[in-house]
Amino acid sequence: MRVLAATDNNLMEQVSQGQVAQLAVLFERHHRALFRYFVSMRRDPELAQDLVQEVFFRMLRFRTTYDPAGSFTAWMYRIAHNAGLDDARKQRPDVVDIERFLNLASITPGPEEHAVRGQDLELLRRALDQLPADKREILVLSRFQGMKYEDIAAVLGCELGTVKVRVYRAIRALEQIYFTIEKEKVS
Amino acid sequence: MTCDEVKISLADYWCHALSEADEFAFGVHLASCDACRVEASLLEALWKGLALLPAEEPGSDLRGRFYETLGAYQQGLESRRSKSWSWWPRQPAWQVAASLAMLIVGLGLGYGVRAEKPHEEITQLREEVASMRQLVALSLLQQQSASERLRGVSWAYRAESSDTQVLSALVSAINHDPNVNVRLAAVDALHAFAASPVTRQAVVQALPQQTTPIVQVALIDLLVDLKEPKGAGELRKLAMAESADIGVRQRAQWALEKLQ
Repeated sequence: MRVLAATDNNLMEQVSQGQVAQLAVLFERHHRALFRYFVSMRRDPELAQDLVQEVFFRMLRFRTTYDPAGSFTAWMYRIAHNAGLDDARKQRPDVVDIERFLNLASITPGPEEHAVRGQDLELLRRALDQLPADKREILVLSRFQGMKYEDIAAVLGCELGTVKVRVYRAIRALEQIYFTIEKEKVS
Repeated sequence: MTCDEVKISLADYWCHALSEADEFAFGVHLASCDACRVEASLLEALWKGLALLPAEEPGSDLRGRFYETLGAYQQGLESRRSKSWSWWPRQPAWQVAASLAMLIVGLGLGYGVRAEKPHEEITQLREEVASMRQLVALSLLQQQSASERLRGVSWAYRAESSDTQVLSALVSAINHDPNVNVRLAAVDALHAFAASPVTRQAVVQALPQQTTPIVQVALIDLLVDLKEPKGAGELRKLAMAESADIGVRQRAQWALEKLQ
């Protein structure tokens, strides 16, 4: 099979059978997306690089546990999710006082305000950074990584319906944080 | 569709992932419910805005580090494969025949070379190469950069399996290196030193010191590969430790069964 035409599942199956050099193709295909995932989650490019390296190392070590019948993307992000959790346990806990934002954002913005803020990507980035880690992760997986809900459910170990509810809650919380930051900026 | 159903269908709607019937029901609800219509409009702008956020790019050194790790891993794998290759026949009759053949060849070679002097230059050269490999491995293992230390681990495979200094440096890396990749690579490299009793003792002693699940699993696997019965005590403790990762506990239990 030609490498360029091989699917991720085919390549990982070959890696699991001992052709570890094929991991290089998977690295070239996915390291940027993984880096973006970790940068979005931790806001530390150097740490994100270490974690990407860690994911590919774990893929090598646990290559025999790979099930080609499952989704490669879900398997890889499950490893990434766990690598991130393991690292976060060693670091300061990611605590964000969501209640502060929910209370401050009790006033719903009008359509005019909304049209203006839609342009402010820097504000959106700040709001995303302040989102609690679990909500940020589900938005990063669904929006940045373009993952299917079924795969997200497999990564996070929950039901499909739960993923849909959590995506809604995450975007709602993002909206409230965004509005709060904007209000603080104006005042 | 109810308001709650509309809310959890929002992202699907934006991605055009709803079925035709659901999309129709979604539209009908929005047309009749002001609250959902306003909320959908507010959140859609943010959803679209997320896609516009610029994507950060990794540094160029990430690729270099990956290929370095992959190379070291491949080297370790090939080294293990070559050591586990078994040419010895399984049938007893063939084993006897092979033993006799080797004895005859050995006697013949012994007679042939007994009068020759040991080739001192070759012996000296071998010692120098071994010494150089040891020096490179030890020096790289002491570097600040984790990728340099990983290179040191890959050099350790080229050292003599009786080289206690390299073995000691690998054990030290397992116990003290702050980088998990280096610790894991060092555990893998210990396979090359499996014959030494020091290796077995070091692995048993390293197990309770590790807290990273992936390194704990690697050490457990190594204990099983080494068939080291003295590890049973530590494995039993780990299998029962409530603070340990569930995967690690299960692996320890599996190892105990293998070592019995």
